[in-house]
Amino acid sequence: MKMKNIILLSFLSLLLLGAAVFRLLITRDVDGALSFALPEQKFLMYRLVPLVSALIVGSALGVSGMGLQVLLRNPLASPWILGLSSGAGLGVMATMFAEHTTGGTFFGGQTLGAIVGAILSLLLVFGLSRKRGGIDPMTMVLVGVVVSVLCGAGIMIFQHLVPMGLRGSFTTWLMGSLPEVESWGRLGLLGLAVLVGVSLIAWWGPTLDAACLSDDEARSVGVDLPKIRRRLFLTSSFLAAIGVILAGPIAFVGLIAPHGARIILRSSHRSLAIGTAIVGALLLLAADDVRQLVDLGTGRLPIGIVTSVIGGIVFLFLLLRGRGRV
Amino acid sequence: MRLRLTNLSVRYGARTAIRDINAGIDGGKVIAVLGPNASGKTTLLRTIAGLQTPTTGEVELDGANVNKLSSHDLASKIAWVPRVAEVSGAFTLRKVVELGRYALGQSRQRVEDALAKVDLLSRSESLWHEASAGMRQRATIARALAQRTPGGVLVLDEPTSALDLRHLRMVGETLRQCASEGDIVVTAVHNIPFALDIADEVLVLRDGQLTLAGATNAVLTPSSLGHVFGVDLAWATDDAGNRHLVQP
Repeated sequence: MKMKNIILLSFLSLLLLGAAVFRLLITRDVDGALSFALPEQKFLMYRLVPLVSALIVGSALGVSGMGLQVLLRNPLASPWILGLSSGAGLGVMATMFAEHTTGGTFFGGQTLGAIVGAILSLLLVFGLSRKRGGIDPMTMVLVGVVVSVLCGAGIMIFQHLVPMGLRGSFTTWLMGSLPEVESWGRLGLLGLAVLVGVSLIAWWGPTLDAACLSDDEARSVGVDLPKIRRRLFLTSSFLAAIGVILAGPIAFVGLIAPHGARIILRSSHRSLAIGTAIVGALLLLAADDVRQLVDLGTGRLPIGIVTSVIGGIVFLFLLLRGRGRV
Repeated sequence: MRLRLTNLSVRYGARTAIRDINAGIDGGKVIAVLGPNASGKTTLLRTIAGLQTPTTGEVELDGANVNKLSSHDLASKIAWVPRVAEVSGAFTLRKVVELGRYALGQSRQRVEDALAKVDLLSRSESLWHEASAGMRQRATIARALAQRTPGGVLVLDEPTSALDLRHLRMVGETLRQCASEGDIVVTAVHNIPFALDIADEVLVLRDGQLTLAGATNAVLTPSSLGHVFGVDLAWATDDAGNRHLVQP
């Protein structure tokens, strides 16, 4: 790795550390006043769990988005735009509904539901976007939006079918939120899975670089395209599903984080995968910091709303700059 | 090294792109592929490069079917230059050239040499998406030069369409040099004087069929080209005594 990239990655890591410390220290009293101090031992857990969750979810969604952008050779690809997040969300909702109606629990539960939902929706988008053996980027984005809308409709149907008392928790989940209570064992397992996913994509970095050429060119320089596409397809779906399992459908992090990392690093995909993981975690942690600061008098904003507002503005900025290619 | 095309046909649905092409090409030669638009040049070149599976027939390189080569073997034996290259990452021209060494192991010297041969050493840190069409075309040729194994095959689809006169000459000399090192160089060209300048032999396609083949000077005559392209052509001689094909 080049020295310049090591310095830039170190700088990003420092920013991430700053955002994490800020998240630990910031406190809003019941009367709405802000103060900065470490919480008492018994409350520390409620800061540490969302902090660690933000690191896991942000890096998972970011690197998933980067993988999808290379897989589909489309700078607009992201778990959210391609319907992956909605698919995973529908999987979670279907599982929650089934568990509610049967009164039992299923093997794998919401985790398995999210992974199956994510993979099925990506298969649908991938399959319907093929033209003459290749992928048509514009068709793919349109199909992704349609799949996303259909999954959204499915989610709303489940929401409509559950008793009134459960709808509130369904709605909160749909807005996206970082958990404040979660077992360290589950967090550790999901964190380890994300670490493996990010490491794999970083390891495949040189192949991802060559896969940025057209199909003919990539094959002629020696890329086994079907193999790398299968790998990216599964790993990106898996990472997106982990994001949804922990925090619900959070928009834009998967789209913005890879672009942010590319603008900062301008490098090959090995460094970029690490940079994207850091930027993704930083984005989500910064959004969590923002929602601690903003007080609308009705409780803290769901984090999904903050990422949508920040991400939407950044996305428009990227589009208007004509930097769709970065 | 010998390339052999046997009963080669490619169909896309109901449309036949190339039909029953037979040819043999020996190492050390530059072969120009000419023909009107949509005559099947790109399909023929992609098939030779192992990127298109023929509907019938086969392309053999020293007896091995190019469509059955592993990814690594294909990269080590055949380098490909498309008519228009596509790069979706935020890469510099140098990085694009380095991608030619993806399967074969990085070689700083090979990349430097390739950049120098297309006059891109001083502009190698320019970003691909900010580079001119000519610079991109030269970088794509440099990638194939960095990738090629002397004595292998170099397949180029209209590699000079965006080049100025100086770089056109430079690329022509480089292709001749590759042939002198034993390569089979197969290139589609629309520029007849360029073909006359660099090619040992010519394959002329029309409606997907090989209509003319042979030594360049024997094939590229006003009457044969006039028949293929549907225009009147004649020889003209300049002050230095060089002959040029012109439209009277």
